[in-house]
Amino acid sequence: MYAYTDFDKHFVRQRAAQYRDQLERNLAGTLTDDEFRPLRLQNGWYIQRHAPMLRIAVPYGELNSTQLRALARIAREYDRGYGHFTTRQNIQFNWIPLVKSADVMELLASVDMHGIQTSGNCIRNITSDCFAGVAADEIVDPRPYCEILRQWSTLHPEFAFLPRKFKIAVSGAHEDRAAIAWHDIGLQLLKNDAGEVGFKVLVGGGMGRTPVIGTVINEFLPWQQILVFIEAIVRVYNRYGRRDNMYKARIKILVKAEGQRFIDDVNEEYKNILERDLDGSAHIITQAEFNRVESHFKVPTGVVADENRLQIPSDAPASFQRWLERNVHSHQIAGYRAVTLSLKRTGQAPGDATDQQMELAANLADRYSSGELRVSHDQNLVLPWVKESDLFALWEAARAASFATPNIGLLTDIIACPGGDFCALANARSIPIAAAITERFEDIDELYDIGNIDLHISGCINSCGHHHSGHIGVLGVDKDGSEWYQITLGGLDGSAISGGSAPGKVIGPSFAADEVPDVIEAVIDTYRLERNAASERFIDTVKRIGLDPFKTAANAQRRTTAKAE
Amino acid sequence: MKFIDKSKDAWHTITGEDGPMVTLTPTPYSLLTITQWRGARSVWPADTPVGVAYDNDADIEDLAEDLPRLSLVALQFPKWVDGRAYSQAHLLRSRYRFKGEVRATGEVLVDMVLLLARTGFDAVALRPDQSIEAAERSLRFFPGHYQGDARDPRPLFARPPGEENSSAEVFVNAGASI
Repeated sequence: MYAYTDFDKHFVRQRAAQYRDQLERNLAGTLTDDEFRPLRLQNGWYIQRHAPMLRIAVPYGELNSTQLRALARIAREYDRGYGHFTTRQNIQFNWIPLVKSADVMELLASVDMHGIQTSGNCIRNITSDCFAGVAADEIVDPRPYCEILRQWSTLHPEFAFLPRKFKIAVSGAHEDRAAIAWHDIGLQLLKNDAGEVGFKVLVGGGMGRTPVIGTVINEFLPWQQILVFIEAIVRVYNRYGRRDNMYKARIKILVKAEGQRFIDDVNEEYKNILERDLDGSAHIITQAEFNRVESHFKVPTGVVADENRLQIPSDAPASFQRWLERNVHSHQIAGYRAVTLSLKRTGQAPGDATDQQMELAANLADRYSSGELRVSHDQNLVLPWVKESDLFALWEAARAASFATPNIGLLTDIIACPGGDFCALANARSIPIAAAITERFEDIDELYDIGNIDLHISGCINSCGHHHSGHIGVLGVDKDGSEWYQITLGGLDGSAISGGSAPGKVIGPSFAADEVPDVIEAVIDTYRLERNAASERFIDTVKRIGLDPFKTAANAQRRTTAKAE
Repeated sequence: MKFIDKSKDAWHTITGEDGPMVTLTPTPYSLLTITQWRGARSVWPADTPVGVAYDNDADIEDLAEDLPRLSLVALQFPKWVDGRAYSQAHLLRSRYRFKGEVRATGEVLVDMVLLLARTGFDAVALRPDQSIEAAERSLRFFPGHYQGDARDPRPLFARPPGEENSSAEVFVNAGASI
């Protein structure tokens, strides 16, 4: 993975020093809270329900064991012993006092980490495929491009105060595991017939109040041009994006409103940069720079194709077989697999890990995965370099650390935001809903029978829990000060199993919190009744028979809401 | 970076009782609205320094032909978190090679100064309650930057090894001499 240069190290340390200066001016009263706010946000510090929330960048989801141990230490020494991994491959803490924030930033800098641009109206941390560099279906490893983009976007002076936040996702595989069409810019790495690498560029995707799938703005942009092309997109957005209404300020609204004119403007700006600007081609990525960055992403020392394939012990338990089926993924290198450590289990919120669990995951990474981990967009951890011959031992160790729930891709592999328990923006809580559903579907045989399904829960329309893209989406809404939940069906995140990207459709008026688990169960029961074969997946049944049978089943669960209406 | 002391600033707006005056007599260091300038430019003497205050939602392209005659373009931050003027400054310097002063006006705060310097501003009129000392300190934190900027259009990767820090040092020294 990428190792910081002296420049990079100095840079994040100085960012921490800059932040300390700002914090001290705030505490001294010369920088008002209102004016400190955008500055702390661009370092990842929110003020939340109980205390500030810190969001730490995990660039394109890649972590090493030393960094994870530092996160564990932050959880233990500065927080209340746990952290929350997010859909944007970052980690959040919820209980750190603001006066300690500069100390935490310095601790992060000491392990080459930071919170730069994890919030605020700027280019956010770049996300990617959690199997980047190891996926069997990979076309091009996206990580060097992600790192080049990370550096380019870091403290970009022109784009620090955009109309609204700006998210970029990059995929380099056949399967889109980064939901790229749902981002402000989505990048798909491709090879043309001549074997040259380029990007298919999508723009204007996003969730929130107005879910929009990104529009293709370039079918094949040579990789060398990507910084220039993105500069053109972001400049057009910075100049013309709406600033009068924060709900209409994302680039998706500009793209929708302007249509072809937006695309023409970007292409004109791109041409102008290259042809008219002072040294306008300076940001064309050189082969030397690409090679320098790419050299960081070599296969780790000691990882070599291994003919010792997996030997399943004759007395291996069924739960191991299930874990192999769900949590173990194909790999580019013979004899190796990627393994998901499930952060979805009874008793803990989706994506949460305690300091001890982080330490254990770091140990597993050191022992079985060349010290490397990934954070997945689905809020799990991934060990990318596991020898097949180590799988049984890893399973036993993962089980002891409560990471081995064999539920990846199943109903209880829920994506959920922290919701109203923590988040000041939320209209409703997410965690109790996720917990109730997890408890309801504890039977692993039943989960297997239900099969592949995406259940996504957001506590408000900001959509951090990606409810729009869930096969089943749950959205918390506030009505007269109490919590209600809107259910959508048929959302698609762009993965092969979804077969595209699309927002789900609402199946009726909101439900009361205590009705939600019954509604989910009724929807699932309807699917099991209606599917034409055991192999027909939930989303395919929804596509085939439409929403009506599901609506009827869901509405039959109304108790509180039936009385209320 | 030049910090404008309003009591010593040569530039002045031309405002009557009812707002900007429409008919005006060219005087040196007049800072005009775009409407005033468009009314006066045909008669404005070439040797009388003139500047224009330009709104942040106007296209810099529309000012391009006037730039050779302007000594100052004052860009606006109606709210400090409205970042449009950064793009305007970048275009003034990079695309239109504007050599005059680019001044930040409006709600200009200490923590914008680094961004201003890097996008092509060379003068700031800080909001009166802001500390020049803190603003100068804010310019000195970073050893350099990844992407090119108004001071050096080359990104870090396009600079020869060892030159990473030079632009920052040159810049800080230049700032100290003002």
